[in-house]
Amino acid sequence: MHISKLQLVNYRNFARATVKFEKGVNTIIGENGSGKTNLFRAIRLLLDDNLLRMAHRLDERDFHRGIGEWRGHWIIISLEFTDVSQDETIQSLFLHGAGNITAATVDRATYNLIFRPKAVIRQKLGELAAGDHAGLAALRSEMNLADYETIFTGKSSADFCNPKIYRSLVGDFDAVIFPNELTSPDIGGIVPGMFSIAREIGFTFVQALRDVVAEFQNNRTNPLLTLLKGKSGEIDPTAFAPISALVSNLNNAIEGLDDVRAIRTDIRDTITDAAGETYSPKSLSIRSDLSDEADRLFQSLKLFVGESEASYEGGIHELSLGGANLIYLTLKLLEFKYQKVKQTFANFLVVEEPEAHIHTHIQKTLFDRLKYDDTQIIYSTHSTHISEVSNVENINILGRDGGVCEVFQPAAGLDPGQIGNIQRYLDAVRSNLLFAKSVLLVEGDAEEILVPILIKHVFGLSLDELGISLINIRSTGFENVGVLFHDLRIRKNCAIITDLDLAFIDLAPDPLDSDAKIKAKKRALGSQTSGAARSIRLNSFCHGNAWLTAHFAHHTFEVDFILAGNSAAVVSVLNDVYTDAGTIAQAKADLESGDIARYGARVLTMAKQVGKGWFAIILGKAITPDVHLPNYLLSALFSAHRPISVETLASILEHRLKVQLESGLVSLPQIDAMSDHVGRFRRGEIDFDAVRAEMLKAFPGDRINTVLATL
Amino acid sequence: MFVWNAEDLNADQVKAIEQPGSVFLTACPGSGKTRTLTYKIARELSLLTSDKQRVVAITYTHRAADEIQERIEQLGVDTTQLWIGTIHSFCLEWILRPYAIYHPELKHGFRVINAHDTERAHELLCSQHGGGLRIFDCGHYLTSAGYVISCPDWKRAKVEAVLQQYWAELRANRQIDFEMILDYAYQLVRDIPSIGILLGSIFATVLVDEYQDTKEIQYAILGAILKASNCKAKAFIVGDPNQAIYGSLGGYAITPAEFSTLSGASFTEMDLSVNYRSSDRIVTYFENYNQLTSKISAGGKHKTFVSAISYDYATHRTALVDEVVRLIRYNVETMGIVPGEVCIVGPQWLPLAGMTRQLMAALPDYSFSGPGMVPFARDIDNFWYKLSRIILTEASPQLYIRRSRWAGEVIAALDLADINTAAITRKSLLRASNAISSAETDGLKYLLECFDALSAALGIDRASSPMLVEHYDAFVEGSQRRLDRLVADGATAIAEVAMFRKVFNEKTGITVSTIHGVKGAEFEAVIAFGLLEGMVPHFNEGDKIAAANKLLYVICSRAKKNLHLISEAGRRRGQNNVYQPTDILLACSFGYDQIS
Repeated sequence: MHISKLQLVNYRNFARATVKFEKGVNTIIGENGSGKTNLFRAIRLLLDDNLLRMAHRLDERDFHRGIGEWRGHWIIISLEFTDVSQDETIQSLFLHGAGNITAATVDRATYNLIFRPKAVIRQKLGELAAGDHAGLAALRSEMNLADYETIFTGKSSADFCNPKIYRSLVGDFDAVIFPNELTSPDIGGIVPGMFSIAREIGFTFVQALRDVVAEFQNNRTNPLLTLLKGKSGEIDPTAFAPISALVSNLNNAIEGLDDVRAIRTDIRDTITDAAGETYSPKSLSIRSDLSDEADRLFQSLKLFVGESEASYEGGIHELSLGGANLIYLTLKLLEFKYQKVKQTFANFLVVEEPEAHIHTHIQKTLFDRLKYDDTQIIYSTHSTHISEVSNVENINILGRDGGVCEVFQPAAGLDPGQIGNIQRYLDAVRSNLLFAKSVLLVEGDAEEILVPILIKHVFGLSLDELGISLINIRSTGFENVGVLFHDLRIRKNCAIITDLDLAFIDLAPDPLDSDAKIKAKKRALGSQTSGAARSIRLNSFCHGNAWLTAHFAHHTFEVDFILAGNSAAVVSVLNDVYTDAGTIAQAKADLESGDIARYGARVLTMAKQVGKGWFAIILGKAITPDVHLPNYLLSALFSAHRPISVETLASILEHRLKVQLESGLVSLPQIDAMSDHVGRFRRGEIDFDAVRAEMLKAFPGDRINTVLATL
Repeated sequence: MFVWNAEDLNADQVKAIEQPGSVFLTACPGSGKTRTLTYKIARELSLLTSDKQRVVAITYTHRAADEIQERIEQLGVDTTQLWIGTIHSFCLEWILRPYAIYHPELKHGFRVINAHDTERAHELLCSQHGGGLRIFDCGHYLTSAGYVISCPDWKRAKVEAVLQQYWAELRANRQIDFEMILDYAYQLVRDIPSIGILLGSIFATVLVDEYQDTKEIQYAILGAILKASNCKAKAFIVGDPNQAIYGSLGGYAITPAEFSTLSGASFTEMDLSVNYRSSDRIVTYFENYNQLTSKISAGGKHKTFVSAISYDYATHRTALVDEVVRLIRYNVETMGIVPGEVCIVGPQWLPLAGMTRQLMAALPDYSFSGPGMVPFARDIDNFWYKLSRIILTEASPQLYIRRSRWAGEVIAALDLADINTAAITRKSLLRASNAISSAETDGLKYLLECFDALSAALGIDRASSPMLVEHYDAFVEGSQRRLDRLVADGATAIAEVAMFRKVFNEKTGITVSTIHGVKGAEFEAVIAFGLLEGMVPHFNEGDKIAAANKLLYVICSRAKKNLHLISEAGRRRGQNNVYQPTDILLACSFGYDQIS
């Protein structure tokens, strides 16, 4: 049995979210604040027997803020389990409470926590006439948390995340239509206290704690004590009896020490001397107070570990942080193993950010090895290193858009072949795209190196600041990864940047052509043909998908770079490519010829001479804020990054003003005047059109004007 | 593994307990049936290998369930994996509540109405329909195939009309009565095989006490569950066909072969035929009414006691109380039997409350507890009744386990009533109850005052739960009606708190009871009256001779030492007739003793 689905409705930062799980290891990835902890908290409310009963009493802060007025709404946390069987005795008690019966069999189980107004309130809501907004408002104004109840149900059939179904169960607050039935069979049957589902399964939660040492020192949280109790349930009193006797003897022996007895006599004498017999205590003794109770004595058990040298074992506080974390996680896993022995037919290990505990390379090994039977592991991470080991089918991505968290299943609706391709492409670096807010896919090293530099110089912003991940596919197999971005899957923008590979030389055969020329023409024709085919392929791939766009260089990146007006930049690095003065002169002439056949061939020769990647690095040093950004890059950038916030636009303008200032060609008052406009734009006093016009008026020569004109 | 002292059980009992597989056990009166059942449950609990299994025991009454559970706890056996209760509670907790969403008539929720509500509904409908119908004409029970009405044929059509309307009204209100609990449970188990499969594998053993009073539909429910388990769940069926006195309600002793067909279990038939309760003479006497082939022998400490067994059909109705008084004095003052060991038994059709009050007047030094002497509404499922049990008993070590369990039931009922009980524990509930004091001497006022104080102490707002309000009204109204009737009958002292408390006190005085009420009990001296043809057996019975035998068997086998039977003369029957002594009693030849 395993958890197949978690649904959250109105819970904390989830308005409505469906998280899907598979058998085995599952990953939840997402940036900080995207709701990973809340999601785990939801699972724990249903399955963690260690959570205090009080935790089930939710309060108004647990309501999703996006619903506005929470009064009257429900919070629903729903788990679905599959792989169940009514023929397995060990599952019967669980299925008795949670199993959904369809026809003559039990095919799944559901277990839900519902926080809702009590029956009296629901009845009052049901009695409201349709559209009686005043009545509803009056009812809600009197409602408070004491009018709410937490119930657990099993066997539910409702898809709680469907807004229509939510309205039919809870009510339509806009139209003021509430159900007359107080009990809907769709929410399932109430699971009475005697069948706490949590007790039927094994559940271990490993928190992303930051202070392991403190955890070890706290008697309540010390995993060592939990283990001792978990191993055999409770400590066997008969086995402990001789130890109790020893402690009792020890206490007597200490009390019997000559020195101790002498001190007692001395104290008594001194009191009598000082206060006199009348006012002195009637009796006084010194007692050794070592506890002979197992619980108290076990608190003296401490773990000692030799970390670097076998000869010295130190306490937990002496370990390195990583070492202490490793021990902690190990003990937690052992706790989990003990639980498994106790006849649970399903075990769940939930680990919050294992990277908080241990080094990434240990993590990889750990999750490869953590393959217990009947065990489902769910962990959250923001480490790309771990997401790389997990199967993309078993990944849920949490994304945040404003205050609302969304959940994406990156492999939803894909066939096994497509999933296999994604899996092959997602190495440690490319896994970044799972975390990104938006993505640029490029085909080679040149783009990977130069695109960030170009953007930094022109806009003064790094790709990180723009929330863009640039992923080098190192081929033109964009579809393999691009398929992830889709309404069904990751709902984030992805722009593909590639080459059309249009030939820039005359391809018409000439009888005078040398063999080399014939070969070059043939090659160029081949590239051109495949480029055209690629453009058709990619355009149709992106067609009808709002999340995906494709952007083409006419020829190749280097050629289009010069085509955009950047020949001077290339010329400036000639000395880094050639040493021979004649060649340098020839190359300069080619690059400045304005003839695409000449400068195109030249720039490619140069790239080839030092290698495309190295050439890009060399070229990167020659990039200035005045560089001309090729249009296809510009359109790719703003397809991925959209909408562009006022904040971003203002930052760009401020960057350009700085560039202007540094050029030394403009006066300070000019800059200040424009700065004021930017400030007003930032405060919303003038709109983008206005600030754009001011910029053009103030600095007509600035490169940014052509960019702004396209926005 | 649960072990017991050698002297706890005899060889036959041990054999029955240790017999593997399913067992059908016929246990004669006084054979230690309850003890055997208790030890069997304890043993089955200790044999469980998984904490996901349960032992289920079905008893005839809540009281029997409580007693057995307490005894098992006293044996030091953990009862967390035991479920024990009546068949109605079983159906509610294990079938109706968990699976209601799968029944079209229950899926939007339902409410169980108690016997009192049913009676009132019948009363109302009878008066609406006219034709001289009375509540008792509406007696009926449901079977797997339909329903059986017990009234005479000429009233049948009218009763059917009343019942149809009654059921329709309940359905419209989403209410179900006790009979419908069984019916719906049966339908669910029949129509949704998964329920039987799941329950069949949760239950390691299903024990049924007093099977002779079990109805066809109950056999069908249990049989279906056992069958679905594919023999994995064992059955332990205990009872005594000789004591099947609930035939009019549909109870009958199924044969092992029939139940085997129903449940798929193969039974080992065993019996306990040594009576440890009564003297040889008593056993010899009640053997006259034994309808089975097995022979019963006395084997207890009273075996050789020289019993006085008398039969009197001369005493006139008007002298009956005097005669009973004489017999009480004989047993207590001459024979030295303590009053708590004396029981007066009569058929349920006679006004026993009147008899009790007359005895109280005639024997002011004695105390009595009898039917109709409970001054408040005794509805076991009523929340406020449950709370009364705690309020009216004192905190004492002897009562601790019982009161703690009652507290648990109160908390469970609060959960059902939509009250948040997160902050209430058994201990805190008992502590709060013990802390309440009041100088009020009127019993009902005292109770209501305590209800308010306790609700306030626990933070329970009665008005917030429709169920609590409904139960409260029913409790207050029912109690008031009872009190009014009792006071009108002359029992003025009944309204006092002391009398309220007495209800839950351990019995000290002489018991006055119906024949059905003494089932399972034992007394040193039993005085039975009203042994008249038409009452014992009731004129409605089909097989009158069998019914009379069973009733006499039950009455006579209650006695350890002395037994006094009276068929009083002169009780009017109709306009012109008087009742005659029970035929088979009169026909029985025995060397009765004269009590002088």
